[in-house]
Amino acid sequence: MHDVYNFVSGPLVWVSFIIFFGGCLYRLISMAVLAKKKDVFVYEYMSFKYGLRSIFHWIIPFGTVKWRKNPILTIVTFTFHICLILVPIFLCAHVILWKESWDIGWWYFSDTTADILTGIVIACCVFFLIRRIVLPEVKYLTSVSDYVILAMVAAPFITGFWTYHQWPGCKITGIVHIIAGEIMLAAIPFTRLIHMVYFPFTRGYMGSEFGAVRNAKDW
Amino acid sequence: MGKRTLIIYVVITLFVCIFAVMSGYSQEDVTTVEDSAFEEKMRPTVQFLHDEHNEAAGLEECDVCHHVYKDGEKIEDESSEETECSECHTLNKGDNPLSLVKVYHLQCKGCHQKEKAGPIMCSECHPR
Ligand code: HEC
Ligand code: HEC
Ligand code: HEC
Ligand code: HEC
Ligand code: HEM
Ligand code: HEM
Repeated sequence: MHDVYNFVSGPLVWVSFIIFFGGCLYRLISMAVLAKKKDVFVYEYMSFKYGLRSIFHWIIPFGTVKWRKNPILTIVTFTFHICLILVPIFLCAHVILWKESWDIGWWYFSDTTADILTGIVIACCVFFLIRRIVLPEVKYLTSVSDYVILAMVAAPFITGFWTYHQWPGCKITGIVHIIAGEIMLAAIPFTRLIHMVYFPFTRGYMGSEFGAVRNAKDW
Repeated sequence: MGKRTLIIYVVITLFVCIFAVMSGYSQEDVTTVEDSAFEEKMRPTVQFLHDEHNEAAGLEECDVCHHVYKDGEKIEDESSEETECSECHTLNKGDNPLSLVKVYHLQCKGCHQKEKAGPIMCSECHPR
């Protein structure tokens, strides 16, 4: 147990963070190089003003037409992402671990707040899953990889929740939690989860194209 | 003396004895770590059977934990068991208690990790 814990909470954390940052950087650079080779005009069309305008509207709930069309999905997607990003950063247990290893610390949620936000993330994952199974138009577009990605994102939250409540087997789920978190981090650059890094560019490009080139409004 | 009064006296004496024994007990035997600097606790209390723990872990020197430092150097053969950790590892009122938590965790969990014995996960030291 001690050897396993020391390994997954030591070297493996390094590995996953290096893959995460290195991989994201690599994907960004290779996207930029590819765009330059294939389509130089991307750079000419890219406009800070319209790009930012588009990102800004889109990042606000109900700020764009697509968000307004499906209000429930919009609400779920926004709550999901907000909790998903805030919980691991401001979770007391995580902050304590940063403090122990690096002597750095920041504000954190109370355990109860974090627990509720975690429950919300899990509920949103269940919602996405049901949506994929039930709605025919979504099911049609769904492949196995979508389920795998959803499971990969849900896993750290479910195991973390289980461990926090100290339900049976919580020592094992604690280890599984750490591994699941590391897998998720390391997977971000190489799966569809890269959308986190790409979104400013895809949306920004769309906005520039519509605003600066076509002189139209974007939706 | 009526039977009734006798019973009352006996009961009172018993209570006093039990109280005396209990308070003597809790003064000598440390069974938990409860630093007074933590104002409101987020996690369940840490169980720590002081003497049994140190016997099982083979810790004879008190200064392994109750240490004394001078000019950044640990002084051997001097110990500070009368002083609570938080008296030296101080927290200002209203401060974020992380720095004190760190000190406890580094000492307790740090040794367990090094020795590969003893609890290392949150749930093992803070059981509900
Ligand atoms: C593994 C670390 C450790 C070792 C070794 C250790 N102690 Fe302690 N001791 C503690 C902790 C932690 C507390 C604090 C309990 C608290 O603050 O609630 C404590 C509390 C005490 C107290 C009670 C202090 C009070 O304010 O009530 C005494 C007395 C004490 N220790 C004496 C000793 C002596 C004597 C030795 C050596 C034989 C020793 N300790 C070795 C960790 C240790
Ligand atoms: C008499 C004052 C005093 C008492 C009591 C005391 N410490 Fe310390 N402790 C110090 C000093 C001084 C240092 C050295 C600080 C430094 O180097 O920054 C230190 C260092 C430490 C460190 C290493 C810190 C680091 O950043 O690596 C740990 C861990 C620690 N103490 C834990 C404890 C625990 C747990 C207790 C209670 C059982 C305790 N100390 C009681 C004075 C004390
Ligand atoms: C210098 C090393 C060392 C330090 C410091 C230390 N421990 Fe331990 N601890 C051990 C070892 C070794 C064991 C395993 C003993 C055995 O084999 O049962 C252990 C076992 C335990 C256990 C499980 C055994 C039991 O008594 O039920 C608990 C709980 C525990 N430690 C709590 C603490 C806490 C709390 C602290 C900090 C105040 C602490 N330990 C500091 C070495 C240490
Ligand atoms: C080896 C035992 C040990 C382990 C493992 C451990 N702790 Fe602690 N923790 C302590 C001790 C001892 C204290 C001081 C308790 C006190 O004085 O009340 C403490 C204090 C705390 C406190 C501050 C007091 C409170 O309840 O608000 C928090 C928060 C905390 N620990 C969280 C955690 C988390 C989260 C983990 C898992 C990452 C963890 N601990 C793992 C021993 C441990
Ligand atoms: C990378 C290494 C990671 C480590 C070492 C780690 C460690 C921990 C620890 C020790 C706990 C506390 C368990 C308890 O209270 O007993 C925890 C809880 C939790 N972690 Fe992590 N974690 C990691 C990654 C992640 C990631 C990537 C996520 C999410 C994206 C995550 C989300 C959570 C959640 C949601 C909880 C439970 C919150 C609650 O219900 O209270 N963790 N983690
Ligand atoms: C700030 C960065 C991010 C932005 C702007 C963003 C944006 C989006 C958008 C627009 C969607 C599509 C919602 C829809 O189906 O209509 C989405 C879906 C999703 N995102 Fe993100 N995302 C971000 C970060 C992340 C991160 C860090 C993760 C997890 C590691 C993540 C996981 C997911 C998942 C799993 C889905 C799919 C849900 C489903 O199955 O339909 N996102 N995201």
